[in-house]
Amino acid sequence: MADAFVIETTDLRKLYDDVEAVRGLSLQVPRGSIFGFLGRNGAGKTTTIKVLLGMARPTSGQARVFGLAADAPQASVDIRRRTGFVSDEKDLYDYMTVEEMIRFTSPLFPRWRADLEQRYLRKFELPPDRKVKALSRGMRTKLALLLALCRGAELLVLDEPTSGLDPAMTEEVLQALVTHVASEEMTVFFSSHQIAEVDQIADRIAIIDRGRAVVNGALDDLRENYRRIEFVFDGDAPEPAFRAPGVERVQRKGRVLTVLSSAGAGRILDEARALNPVSVDVVPVTLKEIFLETVVAAED
Amino acid sequence: MVFRANPSSGVPIYLQLMEQVKHSIETGALRPGEQLPGMRPLAEELVINPNTVAKAYRELEHEGVIELRHGAGAFVSGTPRAKKLTDNLRAGQTIVSGIVEKLRARGVTDEEIRRLFEAELAGVNKTGADRG
Amino acid sequence: MLWYKSWLETRSRFLVGLAVVLLSVAGAVFAYPQVVKLLPLVPTIEVGGELGRRIKEGAELMRDYRGYVWSQWLRQSMTNMLSLFAVLLGTGGLLSQASGGGGALFTLSLPVSRNQLFGVRTATGLAELAALAFVPPLLLPLLSPSVGHTYLFGDALVHGACLFVAATVLFSMACLLSTVFSDVWRPALIVCGLASVLGICEPFFGDLSRYSLFGIMNGEMYFRGGGLPWLGLIASAALSMAMLYAATRNIARQDF
Repeated sequence: MADAFVIETTDLRKLYDDVEAVRGLSLQVPRGSIFGFLGRNGAGKTTTIKVLLGMARPTSGQARVFGLAADAPQASVDIRRRTGFVSDEKDLYDYMTVEEMIRFTSPLFPRWRADLEQRYLRKFELPPDRKVKALSRGMRTKLALLLALCRGAELLVLDEPTSGLDPAMTEEVLQALVTHVASEEMTVFFSSHQIAEVDQIADRIAIIDRGRAVVNGALDDLRENYRRIEFVFDGDAPEPAFRAPGVERVQRKGRVLTVLSSAGAGRILDEARALNPVSVDVVPVTLKEIFLETVVAAED
Repeated sequence: MVFRANPSSGVPIYLQLMEQVKHSIETGALRPGEQLPGMRPLAEELVINPNTVAKAYRELEHEGVIELRHGAGAFVSGTPRAKKLTDNLRAGQTIVSGIVEKLRARGVTDEEIRRLFEAELAGVNKTGADRG
Repeated sequence: MLWYKSWLETRSRFLVGLAVVLLSVAGAVFAYPQVVKLLPLVPTIEVGGELGRRIKEGAELMRDYRGYVWSQWLRQSMTNMLSLFAVLLGTGGLLSQASGGGGALFTLSLPVSRNQLFGVRTATGLAELAALAFVPPLLLPLLSPSVGHTYLFGDALVHGACLFVAATVLFSMACLLSTVFSDVWRPALIVCGLASVLGICEPFFGDLSRYSLFGIMNGEMYFRGGGLPWLGLIASAALSMAMLYAATRNIARQDF
């Protein structure tokens, strides 16, 4: 089962009552990558994750994990045996203690790692006798993470892993993830609307907006290819129709023409030269800007 | 030496690391034959993707700046190539230094200087010579 | 460990229910001597109609210990209590946990099928219901001698079985409604409501009351010497199984 893609969706659609939460999502998560799934609240991130884990069934389209169909009940059980999951709410069983949660979860996973269990109990400073309902949000997140990391899983699916955490704890969680990925063969798929953390640890990303992927690819490629080009003209800026590929957004404001390109600046500069700009400015674009541009642009 | 990653700058992290390694070699903080930090510990310390560190080291090896010895780690290359690279960098720094000084003397602000360099690198040439 | 989790989730309801039914059986047995003393004081009022007939019959039955146990305890308090706890044990499944605080998404992310989850939860509930249904009647042969009477073990066993099988209908109904409504209260209220309506109408069935659900539950046919209510028991069991099956189908299709 040496599939290149641990997760693959093809034109996935999910309709909840009359709301289409996911509207034709296609993405591929390669083995060994840390994949960041960015989007605004309500864009369809959690729904996608639920489909992948068999908690909801697709209306149409396909979702495969480890090459298995996510909506086939028996296959889904197999998928979940090999996957660690942390939900958005991080809700566990309020009435159980930390120790009981571990005793409850570990027998279900034949590849449970007792060594990691000890390590993370110490590192996260989780009190074994405390009930889940008495844990702070940060502690609950760490417990949920422990339960996910110790399963001996090949894939980690995390829904907003650092939401509600202060910066110090966020860094702790990210560091635990990075350390884990560095020492185990693992793929991580995490959804977030914290751009900074995606910037920090993801190597591939997808930006989902209103149920569709508007950006998809290796983060380094995006950093190298997205450019903002600003032209200043003598008179009012023209409105050229660029034939070059990758023109995402063109804005005119008085004598200034701004172009957002996803395919480098070269060809756009070639085309614009004929218009005789007075000055040209080419700057790299941060992930935050890419996000805001592609997600806000879609609203126009 | 201390490595730093600035994830939000829009510059790929692996490129930042490569630059920092080359800079360290050039300033002498890293000498030929010396060992670099391990990929995993470095990723853990910087809290960045281990693949990113791996990519940076691979590219540096491809350029001949470092050697990856299986099982032992990454070492600064002792070859003439590495030396030539650092010499080039050193020479480059002198040239840039001179240019920046001249521009500043003309009253060009640092921000404008940076933009001039960016535009130049992106291939804009108003005199018409095609750089492609 | 799923069994332990189900136990933890239903433990309070079960233990309260057990305490209630045990107290009620003990109370009924130990009150008998007092009842006997008070019997002559029951005035012979001529109340007309079905209700009157019932009241008169009730007074008559109390003269005999077995009749007393059946008419006062089995037919009234035990049936009511068991019905209530059957409903309570049947509520609170996966769907209600999904609306917050129950760790439903965590449960659903485990490598267990939904059938397994539902099965364990239901089996735990049924086991607890069986305990609630069988233990109190089985105490009757043990406690009755202390008030100078006997109660046949065979009778206790039959009544326990009738109580249990009939109560599973209410349990299964609560289970099924729990897969339709996402809160804990509506299934409970609906089933209790239906049961109440049935209970209120019952006296007016006359002789047919032995065929109603509560008639099966309190084993009226058996008490009156007509043998076990086989048809009623089989129908109840079939109805319960059908409802539980429908519940598993609902859970299988549910989007969380």
